[in-house]
Amino acid sequence: MTDNPLNPMAAVNRSFDKPQEFSVAKGEGHEDEVLLRRVSNGDQQAMAEIFDRHGRLVYSVALRVLGDTGHAEDVLQEVFFKVWREPQTFLKDRGPLAAWLAVVARNRAIDALRRRKPSDSVEDVVLISRTNIATEVERDTLIDKIRGAMKVLPPEQKLSMELAYFEGLSHSEIAAKTGDPLGTVKTRIRSALLSLRKALEA
Amino acid sequence: MTDGTHIALEDLAQFAMHSASEQEAAAIEAHFEQCPLCRAEFEKLSTELAMVAMSVDQHPLPAGARERFIDRIKAAPKTNSQSSVLAMPQQKERAAFTAWIPWALAAALALLAVTMGVRINSLNREMRNQSRQIAEFAATESRAQQVLDVLTARESQHIVLTAGKAAPVPTARAVYLPSRGGLIFQASNMGPLPESKTYELWVIPADGSAPIPAGLFRPDASGSASIVLPPLPPGVAAKAFGVTIERAEGSSTPTAPIILAGAASAS
Repeated sequence: MTDNPLNPMAAVNRSFDKPQEFSVAKGEGHEDEVLLRRVSNGDQQAMAEIFDRHGRLVYSVALRVLGDTGHAEDVLQEVFFKVWREPQTFLKDRGPLAAWLAVVARNRAIDALRRRKPSDSVEDVVLISRTNIATEVERDTLIDKIRGAMKVLPPEQKLSMELAYFEGLSHSEIAAKTGDPLGTVKTRIRSALLSLRKALEA
Repeated sequence: MTDGTHIALEDLAQFAMHSASEQEAAAIEAHFEQCPLCRAEFEKLSTELAMVAMSVDQHPLPAGARERFIDRIKAAPKTNSQSSVLAMPQQKERAAFTAWIPWALAAALALLAVTMGVRINSLNREMRNQSRQIAEFAATESRAQQVLDVLTARESQHIVLTAGKAAPVPTARAVYLPSRGGLIFQASNMGPLPESKTYELWVIPADGSAPIPAGLFRPDASGSASIVLPPLPPGVAAKAFGVTIERAEGSSTPTAPIILAGAASAS
């Protein structure tokens, strides 16, 4: 089936033969690891440094989802307090701390938005075990690519993607909200994801 | 959700975004156990979605947020049992034997607390894993039961959809349980389509209302495709089923010609 060129999950799109690898640098990621180890020993100054390094990112992600500064700060405080209380959870092989914090912040914000219990423990967040975006320069370059790709997405693809990622809607919920057929919504999201992937790999 | 072998990219994304239903999530997790490709694809996709999160416009922190956080961690200092236990031997030895006993007791209690804490954490983790496995099994069994119900229910309608005289003849079979909106559809000998097109299955209601889209599909290399339990409203009596070719993103109304059609038998 993977040989079928019409298959949306065909090998050509999955790019297993061309993994998206980014070099690992003993830069930012290494510093985060050192800080986390200090936090494990109760070092409040190290925790403050982690907050200074990633606080804006976590807050901005939460604010993008919730649109409310007060609720976004609640998520900010919750995420970093989790780091303070359970730094060993973040020390495992989970990829760059910034990326992981961004995902945890997004998930917590979506939970708050939908007024549901946290849908996962931090340990359940699967992320980046084989892909590294360790250096700030590399990360910023990729972020610019993603921003550029999001801007040029067809409006209907962009809307579907944003409803899915920043409002946490399922495909069916998006179809109900926009009035589009479910298949249309799925195709738009798939197309958007492939465009973003193509931009990252360019 | 799957095309027979792998999970569709958009469904993996929905799972990564925690928007999949419990049933869908359980099916995907079960699939991961057998399919390292889909697991790897999921990890790659998760990374890409993390980049989407990181691409949001940056905003300055609210005034005082940092101070509030610092105050909070000062008010909740870490209970670093391991450090205190390890530090104890470095403390000054006390000359008096009676002074040593309470410290020894404290060390023993601290050691016991650490041991118990580790054990409790381990048991909690094990319990969570087992609960998750039970939920996965239950969800998988539930879906299997649904499939079985549709296939074996006395009131299920069995429909054969056929095409004209072209060879090999595209054929499809649908099993439909109106009371539950359950539909299982399997097609074979379907011709390939250009990238911009897709097949779409339709339920033609008996009351003459507009056809209901029942899913998009593309055949694999052998011309086979299936749709299992698409989201359909329950209680819709079907007059017929049809398959059309539509643009890749699907359509809300069928476009002629109808490639395959089959009348539903009276239940």
